[in-house]
Amino acid sequence: MARTGKEWHEKPDFPNTHFVDTRIYTDEALFREEQEKIFNKVWIIACHESEIPNAYDYRTFHHPGGAELFVVRGDDMKVRSFYNICPHRGNTLLYDPVGNAKRITCIFHAWSFDSRGACTDISRSKQGYQERFGTKDAGLREVRADVGFGGFVWVALDDAAPTLKEFIGPAMDMLGEHLSMDLEVFHYHKAVVKTNYKLWHDTNSEFYHDYMHYFNRATGMIQPGYFDRKYTGYKNGHASVGSMSIKYDAYDGSAARGVGWPGLAPGGWILIDIFPGMTYNLRTSVLRMDTAIPSGPNELIIEFRGLGLKSDTPEQRAERVRDHNTIWGPFGRNLHEDLLGVHGQGIAMRERTDSKWVLHGREENMTIHDEGGMRHFYDEWGRRMERKAYDPYGDNQLEAA
Amino acid sequence: MSAMIEAGARIAAQELVYRTALALDAVDFPGFLALCGESFHYRISAYSPEIRKEMTWLEHDRKGMELLFKNLPKHNSDRSLLSRHAAVYTVSFAGDGAVADVVSGLQVYRTTLDGGATELFAVGKMFDKVSVGEGGARLVDRHIKLDTRMFGIGFHIPF
Repeated sequence: MARTGKEWHEKPDFPNTHFVDTRIYTDEALFREEQEKIFNKVWIIACHESEIPNAYDYRTFHHPGGAELFVVRGDDMKVRSFYNICPHRGNTLLYDPVGNAKRITCIFHAWSFDSRGACTDISRSKQGYQERFGTKDAGLREVRADVGFGGFVWVALDDAAPTLKEFIGPAMDMLGEHLSMDLEVFHYHKAVVKTNYKLWHDTNSEFYHDYMHYFNRATGMIQPGYFDRKYTGYKNGHASVGSMSIKYDAYDGSAARGVGWPGLAPGGWILIDIFPGMTYNLRTSVLRMDTAIPSGPNELIIEFRGLGLKSDTPEQRAERVRDHNTIWGPFGRNLHEDLLGVHGQGIAMRERTDSKWVLHGREENMTIHDEGGMRHFYDEWGRRMERKAYDPYGDNQLEAA
Repeated sequence: MSAMIEAGARIAAQELVYRTALALDAVDFPGFLALCGESFHYRISAYSPEIRKEMTWLEHDRKGMELLFKNLPKHNSDRSLLSRHAAVYTVSFAGDGAVADVVSGLQVYRTTLDGGATELFAVGKMFDKVSVGEGGARLVDRHIKLDTRMFGIGFHIPF
């Protein structure tokens, strides 16, 4: 039976933990608060170490908290990260997304910096600043950087944040043995979608939406073992979904895979969500990494990376590329459908559409169609935001959960 | 190859490129495949300055393209219309002149179903091999090198 306006706004008949108020996806003030309380407090993946293999290689990164950064491999081969801003007049230091710079020189007034962030030269320094100011006062702002969990370069803006290992905790244990070899990025693209970053992470946190994917219905949902996969929640909002074996030949034209992945059963699939917007997705022969970088409540850049083994032969690499792009490339079967879904959510839930609730009410013993992965995320979201996802402004007149 | 025959082959190769664009714009996949040879090979690639690598985003032989088209109705897709604007830059012949190398500029426009707004969706170049034998011109190889690497939510139908 269709509902009236009053009924539409009534609290869903679930515990408060099993639904959210859609303002958490659309409200500008809440997003700014998320940048401050979440993104600027946690570790975020900036790139992969294979993107900066040589001394002085750098890679720029737009941090979801707002800061413009670059990551650089120093003369000592250590990976560091800095604000991509000249301390003089605030110009961008490195314009290209990637490059090699033994000396980083601002194009504006030729101030120079080394790969460890020290200012090495201020043009006509003595004439202008005499003894009042010099290179020792003009170092770059260094941001904490660490390399780990598959060779990804992580950054943390908060100098007081826990270590990367503490932040991840045991969440990556299921993937640990599969990431012991050197990896290499072979695919990179960005998608800009008018949607909220949490909706993308939600999609990576629930598999009930396999109904959207013909490919997944054929190769996964109707195959034995699909409904045995379980969600596991970890501290800090991370979650994993256990492995299953994908029956690729159930999709017409998609043969069983040969190249495989070290330690992973043929056709295996492991997914780990890292709070607040990163997902490891290891499927048979390819590791996919999503990094959600929101720039507003309804504006999202997603960085997609595909990785293989650094030791791949050309034939092995070609097979991984094929496997990746059949499903996950810009023309792939599944990625387009996933993006179409969150694009539709962005339209339907944007401000003033009178959307009110999103349901996370499925309980299936935390197996694959249970919505516990999302509930786990919003529990952590609420803790960090000091707000309830089901009542972010305390005006929904709900009873306590 | 005489100048007159070459001129005819050149026109046939150019026209084939335009016909493939028309067929795909019309979502006429059988019509598109009818313009392709039995050994047809299709590839879309793009160079990523971010990772300094050439990326292959779609690659199929003729059978693979047939299966891709066959499976399309089973998928959820953006149903916006695409309009492919190809401009043939060069047609060159080597050896016995049976195959033409055709280089074209490609612009793909997307028109929304709701309201009909049109936006430039992608730009790149097409590198085609066109057989120009007695049976008529046929596309035997197409390699689209895209400049555009951001497609928003992407697309299921090849360019």
